[in-house]
Amino acid sequence: MGKNDQEPIRLKTDVLVIGGGLAGTNAAMGAAEAGASVVVLDKGKVQRSGDIGGGVDHFMAYLSTGPEWDTRDAFLGYVEKVGRGTNHLSHIESLFCDELPDAIERMARIGNPLTQPDGSFYRTKSMGQPGPYWINFNGKLLKPRLARAVSKLGCKVLSRVMTVDLLLDSGHVAGAVGFHVHSGRFYVIEANATVIATGNTNRIYENPRGNPFNTWLCPYNTGDGQVMAFTAGAALTNMEYMRLTMLPKGFAAPGFNALTGMGGRFMNSLGEYYMEKNHPLGNRAPRYACVMNSLEEMRAGRGPIFIDCRGLTDKELDHLETTLGYDKDTLPDYLAQRGEDLRKQPVEIMVSEGMQAGPTECNGSGIKIDGNAASTLPGLFAAGDAADHNRCVHGAVTGGYRAGKSAARHAKSLVGTPREPATITRGRMEQFMAPLHRESGTPYWQIEGTIRKIMSEHVGMARTDLGLRTGLQKLERLESHLDDMKVSNLHELMRSRETRSILTVGKMMATAALFRTESRNRPYHYRLDFPETDDTNWSGLVVVQKRGTGFECSLEHIVYSSH
Amino acid sequence: MPVAFDYELCDGCGVCSAVCPGDVIYMKGERGEKLPFNRYPDECWHCGSCRQDCPQKAITIVFSPDMLCI
Repeated sequence: MGKNDQEPIRLKTDVLVIGGGLAGTNAAMGAAEAGASVVVLDKGKVQRSGDIGGGVDHFMAYLSTGPEWDTRDAFLGYVEKVGRGTNHLSHIESLFCDELPDAIERMARIGNPLTQPDGSFYRTKSMGQPGPYWINFNGKLLKPRLARAVSKLGCKVLSRVMTVDLLLDSGHVAGAVGFHVHSGRFYVIEANATVIATGNTNRIYENPRGNPFNTWLCPYNTGDGQVMAFTAGAALTNMEYMRLTMLPKGFAAPGFNALTGMGGRFMNSLGEYYMEKNHPLGNRAPRYACVMNSLEEMRAGRGPIFIDCRGLTDKELDHLETTLGYDKDTLPDYLAQRGEDLRKQPVEIMVSEGMQAGPTECNGSGIKIDGNAASTLPGLFAAGDAADHNRCVHGAVTGGYRAGKSAARHAKSLVGTPREPATITRGRMEQFMAPLHRESGTPYWQIEGTIRKIMSEHVGMARTDLGLRTGLQKLERLESHLDDMKVSNLHELMRSRETRSILTVGKMMATAALFRTESRNRPYHYRLDFPETDDTNWSGLVVVQKRGTGFECSLEHIVYSSH
Repeated sequence: MPVAFDYELCDGCGVCSAVCPGDVIYMKGERGEKLPFNRYPDECWHCGSCRQDCPQKAITIVFSPDMLCI
């Protein structure tokens, strides 16, 4: 165990992709199809890793079929409306709109078209969309198909390797270091360009269902990439937003979007359809509005809350029954084992755990990128939920590919440039492995549980200046105990590294939330002491960066003209 | 246990352990007779990848009482 007495395995590549989920595999394809050699590192196995490992059923897109709502302009108008002040529309245009036709074609090319068996698109509307932007499709085998496509392109994929450090060469990101979570062997990957695609941060807020791994998004996504980028000096944005969503009670399965998309109605315990009463778009209001109103129903004592699908037609219910398991393979089993029947009774739902993720379906939270997916550090690119201008399935597929293409172009531009060989010192390797060799210490789960408690109590849904400062102080105190962590094997060592990432993300969230003295996309960033949205002063991105051992925040204003 | 293995059907191929994104499923037993088990059951995300990819269809997903009864 922990073979740090052995020399690390060294590899050289044009492009290194960290994280082999939906964004990472598309980045690998983008880089390889542009002629670059590619290495992909993943904590799991690329065939089934990441948020959509077990499957997915939705992809947001306009298709330019004629109606006014189905155009690029209408889509951008929607992005601006739901995410005002949280994204640069020009980035969404280049990362999503410009890449969309190729992304739709690529999905078909790898054998997983977005169409139904008859060749048509099945489209539904929810979350404030002006028209049915959700394409409903069968993505149960999407990850195995992407894994095959990546292998066919000659990319070298290393499974069960957790990346722990970026390598720097005179301020240029020059690859990364990781360890194999079964053998303990270190890997040093030297690369001319590196793409981080490690997803958002989960296990960071208390889980209302108890088990911290019972999460909406993948619980093994713990902000590792954001923290590596931040530590190396990259800027991050939108970190103040605590994302929430609506889930089946007891099981944090995605898939219930489809219910409201097809006409399901939010209902309280008095039998009132509260979204229809409280929002002009009713059950199809933006997600944060559904969450905010559901929280209010619960707070007022009108819970439990439900989704009522009894008004759907038999044809719609048949479709739902088929596709619910596409988004979460085990959701139909769960509903059956719980004795729920969508056709006969309303299904109980709840508000999810909090997480670090983008404030809307169209823009993210994390590493600050430009319209070519480049971060503020030379040689570093980002995609998917780890980046601030990607989110959701459509963002990962389009933005991931763009990141791969940009990384390949950057790598090519450096060919022939002399570089210091990347390396890791024996001391650094021993430092990573130290928790394995401690006689006594604190288990990772105890530290992690404390992070969740601090985050929920002080950096959660209702924030104040004093509360956020109190939370930050507590996180800093807890940080001094990180080096006391003791683990009994490499699996726990991986978890303890995740705990470290979660704590740093927590500090970033609290710092950014303290800086933004207004509220935006409530309840994702809701300041009790500044409850109004102030577009004049706060339309823009809070940029977080490392300064010495601390954090520095600034505001990058966004001014909207058209749409 | 979130992942229930039918050891009559299971041939010990190890696909479930290999694809598990959470490193939850491990194999135990002698060489040639290894069988899967839930080593970290509390960390299962219930994604169903193991069940989908099991060539012997030997896997059932069983939800715990806390998930079914709250």
